[in-house]
Amino acid sequence: MNQESNRRHFLYRSLVGAGGLALMDFLNTDLRAAASSNPLAPRTPHHPAKAKSCIFLTMLGGVAQMDTFDPKPALEKFDNTVLDWSNEKRTDQPDLYAKPRLILKSPWKFAKYGKCGMDVSELFPHLAACVDDMTFVKTITGENGNHPAATFLMNTGLVLPGRPSVGAWVGYGLGTENQNLPGFVVLPDYRALPFSGSQQWGAGFLPASYQGTMMQWKGDPINDLRPAGGANQKDMQDQMALLRDYNHAYLDGNFTNPDLQGRIDAYELAFRMQSEVPGVLNLAKENEATRKMYGIDDEVTRSFGTRCLMARQLVEKGTRFVQLYTPSQSWDSHTDILKGHAKNAKEVDLPIAGLIQDLKRRNLLDSTLIVWMGEFGRTPDHPADLRDKAGRDHNTKAMTMFFAGGGAKPGVTVGTTDELGWRAVEKVYRMRDVHATILHLMGLNDMRLMHYHAGRNMRLTDTGGEIIRDAVA
Amino acid sequence: MVRIGFLAAVAVAALAGASPEDAVFRDKIGPILKANCAGCHSGPQAQAGLSVANLSDLLRGGKRGPAISPGQSSQSLLVQFVKGEKNPRMPVGGKPLPDNIVTALAAAIDSMKALDQVATAKDYATWVFSPPVAPKIPVPRQAAWTKNPIDAFVLAKLEEKGFAPAPPASKRALLRRVYFDLVGLPPTEEEARAFLDHTAPDAYEKLVDKLLADRRYGERWARHWLDLVRFAESDGFAIDGERPTAWRYRDYVIRAFNNDKPYDVFIQEQLAGDEMQLRPAVRGGQIENEGILALGFLRMGPWERDANFDAQLRLDWLNEMAGTTTQAFLGLTVGCARCHDHKYDPIPQKDFYRMQAFFASTRIDERPMPHLESEGRLAMRQTLRRLEDEMEAANARLKALEKELRAKLAAKKDEDKKKPEADNLQRVLADKDNPVFTAEERKLHKDTAERAQKITLEMARYQPVAYSVNEVAPPAVMEIDPTHVLAGGERSAKGELVEPGFPKRITGNSEPAKIEYAGRYRSGRRRALAEWIASPANPLTARVMVNRIWQHHFGAGLGRTPSDFGMNGDRPSHPELLDWLATQFVEKKWSVKEMHRLMLTSNTYRQSTGHPDAKRIAESDPDNRLLSRMNWVRIESEVLRDTILAISGSLNREAGGPGMFFSVKDEVAQGFQMFKWYPSDEKAQLRRSIYAFQRRSLSMPLMEVFDAANMSESCSRRSVTTVAPQALTLLNGELTAVESRRFAARVIELAGADPARQIGKAFTLALLREPAGAELQKARTLYEGRTPEEALTRLATVLFNLNEFIYLE
Repeated sequence: MNQESNRRHFLYRSLVGAGGLALMDFLNTDLRAAASSNPLAPRTPHHPAKAKSCIFLTMLGGVAQMDTFDPKPALEKFDNTVLDWSNEKRTDQPDLYAKPRLILKSPWKFAKYGKCGMDVSELFPHLAACVDDMTFVKTITGENGNHPAATFLMNTGLVLPGRPSVGAWVGYGLGTENQNLPGFVVLPDYRALPFSGSQQWGAGFLPASYQGTMMQWKGDPINDLRPAGGANQKDMQDQMALLRDYNHAYLDGNFTNPDLQGRIDAYELAFRMQSEVPGVLNLAKENEATRKMYGIDDEVTRSFGTRCLMARQLVEKGTRFVQLYTPSQSWDSHTDILKGHAKNAKEVDLPIAGLIQDLKRRNLLDSTLIVWMGEFGRTPDHPADLRDKAGRDHNTKAMTMFFAGGGAKPGVTVGTTDELGWRAVEKVYRMRDVHATILHLMGLNDMRLMHYHAGRNMRLTDTGGEIIRDAVA
Repeated sequence: MVRIGFLAAVAVAALAGASPEDAVFRDKIGPILKANCAGCHSGPQAQAGLSVANLSDLLRGGKRGPAISPGQSSQSLLVQFVKGEKNPRMPVGGKPLPDNIVTALAAAIDSMKALDQVATAKDYATWVFSPPVAPKIPVPRQAAWTKNPIDAFVLAKLEEKGFAPAPPASKRALLRRVYFDLVGLPPTEEEARAFLDHTAPDAYEKLVDKLLADRRYGERWARHWLDLVRFAESDGFAIDGERPTAWRYRDYVIRAFNNDKPYDVFIQEQLAGDEMQLRPAVRGGQIENEGILALGFLRMGPWERDANFDAQLRLDWLNEMAGTTTQAFLGLTVGCARCHDHKYDPIPQKDFYRMQAFFASTRIDERPMPHLESEGRLAMRQTLRRLEDEMEAANARLKALEKELRAKLAAKKDEDKKKPEADNLQRVLADKDNPVFTAEERKLHKDTAERAQKITLEMARYQPVAYSVNEVAPPAVMEIDPTHVLAGGERSAKGELVEPGFPKRITGNSEPAKIEYAGRYRSGRRRALAEWIASPANPLTARVMVNRIWQHHFGAGLGRTPSDFGMNGDRPSHPELLDWLATQFVEKKWSVKEMHRLMLTSNTYRQSTGHPDAKRIAESDPDNRLLSRMNWVRIESEVLRDTILAISGSLNREAGGPGMFFSVKDEVAQGFQMFKWYPSDEKAQLRRSIYAFQRRSLSMPLMEVFDAANMSESCSRRSVTTVAPQALTLLNGELTAVESRRFAARVIELAGADPARQIGKAFTLALLREPAGAELQKARTLYEGRTPEEALTRLATVLFNLNEFIYLE
């Protein structure tokens, strides 16, 4: 390659992000270092922060705030009555709202827990014991009342597919501590994968290296960790060396394809995972007490509990971002919420409480940010004709979420909803504010974390989010 | 006029997003204004009569005039006020906006098109819901570059933006591209040499013709269609029962592509093959009417048994059919309309149920359907007869064995009278602790019983039955269930009664469709739908299909949401080109092969992936909407597997018939209760991936990890992910292990004992080129301490994993 094309190649690779750099940094950083840098190498955060890792617990389908953490006595008063909503804009599921609707009181009793006196319903007896380590925000609002769109908004900041997810952005900003494990691991529930599957944890326009890696909790966490043929250690090393060599030579001649670099990185990671993963994700080495904390040996809690335990092992080893999912639409109790929410709460309550306590006793809670949320909240009322098996419908006007650890302010509640829990009224936040807060707690400034794409700087929070200050220690 | 306005605007924009200007407002300007200005400038009391709620409000402006002039921030009142260039500085009484916000605002306004070119959503709707009219073919300045009108449209737009097209791809790159595109397999060495050494000016065109006539073309292109129609050979859900003759639909699709069945007929057969008098194909002197097989399309969704008798499952089925039909043929997403009016889309809830009503007279049916000549009628019959004989023998063997075992059991029972349950042979055999039978006896019985069971399953696959639909079975007269709008999609919430009808947004009215009785026990409903869809007057059908074909050749469609041409869909980058292709498609009698020919022989297709102006293009058109170069394409999971099998010499090219059952881990196979999984013999397992049995709950590992369609819903565009598990599967998996070894053996057979020649042959087979000097040297190091077989096995694994192997330049 001649001098000129070398330079062009070089600039090009910086621009398309093969070096994993945001344009802002591109202007100030030594280009040579950028081009040779490993996109997953740990990077200095924008500001000092406690959280080194994040575990994002995704409650797909949408949890009813008034049945879990946001008690509404008024619902008892108005139970089974028709309220006049004519002055309200109910846009989430207009068709459902067109029919007569009845208010539904919560089928569960609430009590106050902890020193902070937090309200928790009977659905979460184990989490109730952890409230002094948790931070509730009751006023998260969304933009779209459909599951796929709302899930995209929660994960990527936009209701449409194609943008990088939070986990990818965090990897882009901070790299990852352990180069032998994926920086962003996704632990879905195989009973029902989220809508649009891997697009929910994709890297969008960021380099492909930041995409989430799915792991399973039964059998080997990842298939084909060991060679099926007769290849020995030296064979594998020689193969890898030659592959690396050929692929790099090819990349030099074809720098217009940023995916080539992503694929080279994927092989490097795969190679390192072969030695690291079997040791890390070893549930057998956990003692009886720990297994009990997560509910590993109980059929109901096994799936979520095992994945919570895997999440702890991963962050312990330096994985930057772990995201767990309940089955797709699991919390979506349009009908028979009594049964639906009870089942879902039972599957996650003990494991999450176990995760918080386990991280705490290992002094990892400070450096691990736990985020718990769904794609939207639920309504205080339901269509009248479904009274015998009443449920609650989608509600983007208020949702309760919580943080734990990682520099969030423990034992506080932020924001209030109206008398019915339908709409956030005080200290109202959007998804992008949650994103800004997560980034902030992890040492990233949401306005500075950007990637040059299609002629402009793109951000997770687009024009910027508002940090939920009251939730930050 | 509106229509022209839209085309002009898109002509300049060519970038993703809802109407580009609306998107700029929504993403960049709106949020700033909402946070800082909407307090005073919104609602009926808006200050100075200016509302900042949406783009048209800004353009209308307030008492001082329009708030912005798109494309000219310095001329925009909004910017002048927030900068303090005009008094009072806005926001009044608040802190001045920070500089970066002001700059962002100005940049966003500058990025917009001049006012007269602003395309609104309404313009788009007007365009997309009017039938395409052949536009004038532009005359670009560099007219010499154009091979056909496709190039004229593409080049005109490039020139407008000040770009030149990329240089032509190398012959080798073009060769790989066109082979993988059309037949999904690499050329053999001889085929490659024939093209690379051929200097005739029309060598490439001849090659395209040759590949279009190749049987493997249908095997490749059927896969795209099967993705779209959520093809699977099992029901899904918990039992995931087998659909033993669903393969006949797969073969129907392969034949349709290979015979270049006109696309309008293809549609009509799949929706109403039983209700229409369609031009039958004549093959081997036999008239073949494939309509009953084609109807399998309506059966391909996930399904639980007995749905005919369960109202909710039937409703789900009707919804699924209506939804997939609309998505696959019309490129409209209507799933949301099942429950409520689709906020952005042209199908209101009522129209969804009017569409669904076309299927109200349809029921599932396994219809008798003799095997066609083109399905190998004779071979089918012979196989079935052989299986019947085998079945008889297997049953006899089992019976004899059980008789023997029973005798033994009876003898034992006489000795030990205390165990009455010992009567039951099956139970005793299943009880491992019962000492009556030895382990060998138990195993013999298990194997014999399984053999009989396996043959039973196999026989079902050869029955002359079509996995199809029929009209509701009437006792005397047909009684078709009325269709209601269902609030929230709830079966109990019956609303307005509706008749079958087409979407109002397209026809302009809500009249019921005209339905002609199609004959005895045929309501004619599906025929009416099929005729309306498969018509040149339908604004979407031709556009949607040519866009799909384009996508599979160029890596992305002109519109990048191929099954969503609605208001949320991507705006096509070249609407005139799309319209031109759509009108050509109809003019060429809906010939898909003619569309391939047009696209593949354009210079646009023959461009290289690299561009001398790469940097500037990356900045202004990173997604290649302008087609200034060829897109990089990664070969799909099926193509990857078939290619590895082909170059290792293992590929079994047998076409058609029941699918093959690949090997799975024992614990997986044992997990299946109702529909047991018995792997096919080894040779059958080496067939092309299109012939792998498509079970919803079980995919080949390579398919799963390399983004194959998930079979549960229509898939119009596969995602292309890059993750470490792919590397693990392709480095360590069973396929690579076995085929690397075979590849090595083949290389030695072809190249002899000289390592340099062996390495050269390995490269030529895998990459269609000789290794460079450095590559050869490095490959030679593998021979240190290894036998040539071992060394070449390692080299094969490396080659299968190369970027150069899996990406098409």
